[in-house]
Amino acid sequence: MANRFICETLGSACLGFSMVLAAPAAFAVPDILETPSRPTLLAPESLLNDATRAGERIVAVGERGHVIFSDDEGHTWVQGAVPVSLTLNAVDFGTEQHGWAVGHSGVVLHSSDGGENWTLQLDGNQASTLAIESKQSQIAELEEQIEQAEDDEKTDLEWALDDLFFTLENMQADQDVGPVNPFLDVWFEDDSHGFVVGAYGMILRTQDGGENWEDWAPNLDNPQNFHLNSITQVTGGALVAVGEAGQIHVSVDGGDTWERRESPYEGSLFGVMGTGQVNEVLTFGLRGNTFRSTDLGRSWTVVPNEGGATINNGAVADDGRITLVGNGGAVLMSTNGGESFRVYFRNDREGVMAVVPLQGTDLLLVGEGGVKFTDARGRNPN
Amino acid sequence: MSNPMHDRGEHYLTTPKAEPFLERLIFNNRAPILVAFFILTLFLGYNAVKIQPDASFERMIPLEHPYIVNMLEHRDDLENLGNFVRIAVAVEEGDIFTAEYMETLQQITDEVFYLNGVDRSGLKSLWTSNVRWVEVTEQGFQGGTVIPDGYDGSRESLEQLRQNILRSNEVGRLISDNFRSTIVYAPLYEKNPETGEALDYGEFSRQLEEKIRDKYGAENPNVNIHIVGFAKKVGDLIEGIASIAWFAGITILLTTLLLFWYSRCIAGTLVPVFTSIIAVFWQLGTLKLLGYGLDPYSVLVPFLVFAIGISHGVQIVNAMAVEAGKGFDAITSARLAFRALYIPGMLALISDAFGFLTLVFIEIDVIRDLAIAAGLGVAFVIITNLVLHVLIMSYIGISKGGVRHVQNHGEKQDRKWRVMSYFSHPGVAPISLLIAVIGLGLGLYYKQDLKVGDLDEGAPELRPDSRYNKDNSFIINNYSTSADVLVVMVKTQEEQCTQYNVLRAMDRLQWELQNTPGVQSSASLADVSKMVTKALNEGSWKWYEISRNQTIINASIREAPAGLINTTCDLTPVLVFLEDHKAETLQTVVDRVEEFADNFNNDEHTFLLAAGNAGIEAATNEVIANAKDIMLLLVYSVVSLLCFLTFRSIRAVACIVIPLGLTSILCEAIMAVSGIGIKVATLPVIALGVGIGVDYGIYIYSKLEKFLLEGKTLQDAYYETLRSTGKAVIFTGVTLGLGVVTWIFSPIKFQADMGFLLFFMFLWNMVGAIWLLPALARFLLRPDKMLAKARAAK
Repeated sequence: MANRFICETLGSACLGFSMVLAAPAAFAVPDILETPSRPTLLAPESLLNDATRAGERIVAVGERGHVIFSDDEGHTWVQGAVPVSLTLNAVDFGTEQHGWAVGHSGVVLHSSDGGENWTLQLDGNQASTLAIESKQSQIAELEEQIEQAEDDEKTDLEWALDDLFFTLENMQADQDVGPVNPFLDVWFEDDSHGFVVGAYGMILRTQDGGENWEDWAPNLDNPQNFHLNSITQVTGGALVAVGEAGQIHVSVDGGDTWERRESPYEGSLFGVMGTGQVNEVLTFGLRGNTFRSTDLGRSWTVVPNEGGATINNGAVADDGRITLVGNGGAVLMSTNGGESFRVYFRNDREGVMAVVPLQGTDLLLVGEGGVKFTDARGRNPN
Repeated sequence: MSNPMHDRGEHYLTTPKAEPFLERLIFNNRAPILVAFFILTLFLGYNAVKIQPDASFERMIPLEHPYIVNMLEHRDDLENLGNFVRIAVAVEEGDIFTAEYMETLQQITDEVFYLNGVDRSGLKSLWTSNVRWVEVTEQGFQGGTVIPDGYDGSRESLEQLRQNILRSNEVGRLISDNFRSTIVYAPLYEKNPETGEALDYGEFSRQLEEKIRDKYGAENPNVNIHIVGFAKKVGDLIEGIASIAWFAGITILLTTLLLFWYSRCIAGTLVPVFTSIIAVFWQLGTLKLLGYGLDPYSVLVPFLVFAIGISHGVQIVNAMAVEAGKGFDAITSARLAFRALYIPGMLALISDAFGFLTLVFIEIDVIRDLAIAAGLGVAFVIITNLVLHVLIMSYIGISKGGVRHVQNHGEKQDRKWRVMSYFSHPGVAPISLLIAVIGLGLGLYYKQDLKVGDLDEGAPELRPDSRYNKDNSFIINNYSTSADVLVVMVKTQEEQCTQYNVLRAMDRLQWELQNTPGVQSSASLADVSKMVTKALNEGSWKWYEISRNQTIINASIREAPAGLINTTCDLTPVLVFLEDHKAETLQTVVDRVEEFADNFNNDEHTFLLAAGNAGIEAATNEVIANAKDIMLLLVYSVVSLLCFLTFRSIRAVACIVIPLGLTSILCEAIMAVSGIGIKVATLPVIALGVGIGVDYGIYIYSKLEKFLLEGKTLQDAYYETLRSTGKAVIFTGVTLGLGVVTWIFSPIKFQADMGFLLFFMFLWNMVGAIWLLPALARFLLRPDKMLAKARAAK
């Protein structure tokens, strides 16, 4: 009786309460953006897409939001705490403590303790809002230009405006689906200045350690919004970004302005790196196409590669040896600054996504099958 | 009804000289009864020979378990997912890159293509056009068949083949990691799509042996062939059933020899063998008429029926020889033997039958069939060996040699019986009990390790060293595959099985499971989608993720393997590959899945357990584990109740049942120690062991009570018991043991397990009756009170 009295008095509140009770006890699986990465012992054996040094420490990132780090040259690994469980594609440390990791769903993660704990700085929804706002202001600018332009210039500008509208519509459609596009690489100079690049020409810049991000795509000559696959700084200070359709962009002013270089190749370039010499650049990609420049990309020479497997990444060891790694277990080594390479295919034929030179001449590879130790040629240790 | 005693019911002990009604009925109509039995035997025998082996998969699984209900409900959607054979063609020397090897492989591929039952469109080998290499190029994809165009067996084309294989993504699947074997993968039709005929597994398996293994093994001695798959396993099982016929022959021969050694009378040997075989014919004929076939379990029942028949026949022969020795003619000694034995005999047989029937409560059809077959068989033994046997013997009589054997043997035997009668001595009995208690303690200690389920690797139905299991371990060691698969069915709305949220949920479950001990790997549409999305993005692992864009998902699963999406796209499976099929492994995994389902089942997706061999085993284990205690309780209750109704004394029941309990516990301890789990095959052993084991106790106790009521001391009464029936009881134990011991050599592992355990139970129950029963009697029985009670009854 008491219950009924309260219910009659409280009316709708009671109704609400009983509806809650009647709801089925099942819930949707939370979005991967809201699902912390599951602690697991399997991370070092699962897909890892990138690895880097944070001081002496090695940090690697991969599928399901895995970030693992090792303080003993890769022998034992600890899993970092990550608030998302999507595939992470790249990691870079600006300082020993401050690092950024990027991946699917347009995620940028930040760690200020050498990779142990990570916080979400940006997700794909925010990234696409940034990009859309930037497109809208580009459109506004262009519309202003058209108003003031001479008649003979107008047609070209109107075409450009149409292109912008088209891109904007695509972006808005994508945004309706959700945070669909991944970031593919990240580079940080220190604890505040950095870039992230990704699918469909995404490039964002921060000057305050990721507090604020700015859409930097309008500053690159990439009207068809091809993927940007990789960004790095080469010896001498220049920044180089490469991507789909042979794109090569160079900035010599710390990223403020970018210049598109003429490309020796029309296919996808998956990676770019310095050789350790001033203004020398190596870039590589689909089917093992590899190119070398000694003048910041103004001219290129083809680096012969008979292996024919796509190359994903590379690293320069302290002694100057250059190692490139790629699909099908490809490990390429150069002792002449990248002019030529010796190819070795690992027996497991598993894709290799990144390489970290260890003390001595050994290598640590990460990729399809997780972490692998090898000798300087990529062979398994005896 | 001339004897007024009958009006108060006949107690065979209090009216030993009476002619019970049954006896008069049978012995006054000997000829008509024999003729009737003859006609019945002709009819049932005719049916018995028509009975067919039948390894029906459905009968071996618990059909009422929710997992199995789910599986059968979605059976059509999952068809062909698990029904395939894999034929690994391995080289002995060198590697696969030789012209000879490739030629043999081509011939085998062609041969498999034309095998009846093979789904030709799904056939895969290096030589089929659906095995391709693919490479990403600037223009998109390029690819071709793994066998290079213009292949001519030259070194160049073999080298090209090697290159293509490395690019093909089939290493570890169709080609072993060491390049020393490749697989011909043949999906099978459950039903022929043209004729609608069901696949004959036995025939298919024979063809694989003849047309593939034998033929090409002989043609190219450098090639070894390994074949695995459900169809092959079932084929081997059916073959195993057939080999049981040999065991039947051996058992009959051994029993006959033993029987002759025992009775030294040709009639006394052949007649019980003959009547026991008739019981078997009746049993098989009735089964056939009831529509049953012979599955790998019920094929064992005739052995039991035969052995039970012989063991009761022996009692009759023994009793007749004793009576004949007193000078009675054939018919009188037959009547006296019948009169003395029909109540304990019927009681023993009825308790056997009830013991078996308790198995009906286990919700697995093969066990129920076994129970029915065994129950029927025992019922027939009552007729054949208590009636037919006695009737035939009443015409023939025990030979003089047989009677002399009983008499001559007497004195030497008597000394032995005298020694054994000390089991009931007040000084010996406590020692016996102490030993029994120690045995009980040890048994209880060791049986803690008793596991549910199958514990061996590979196909548990077959022996670990069987050809099938060797082939299986070859394939497991050389290819990335597991033999133990649990299938979780994911039910969605129609046409929604590929939605992002569904794939995402499956992916989450898979990762949860891959982090569960005992899980090796898993596969689902989610993996296909990630893999193809990666491939569509120029093979870059950075795109190895389920896209949120449904258009991309749809593109990624366009070429998904058959069986991962059903025709209405409302069911998609998650395949979980396990390290083994131990009960704990299965339990851990299904618990995880159920927890996940409880948390995340909703309108979009429902996660259902379970299909796959591991799913079926998980369900079976659960049913077995739940049934075990109920069954033990039932079988002991039934046996105790029957004993109580007969002997009207709880003390008598204790004397008979306690030794059985000790045997049951020791049997479980032996199972634990020798790594035999409680499973479909071994659960019935407990019921059979107790049901049949009680016979000894009944025979011993009924004699012991009789002699006690004659006023003898316990030890004297026991001595007389041993003299009159001890030999028959020991003989019974040995015959029953012989009946099952040949199973140990069966190619079917669970038959061997059953044989081993039943052999132990039959022999040990006999020991328990002869050794422990008198010791218990020393403490439990009150001969003076029994006498007083019997007198009061008069």
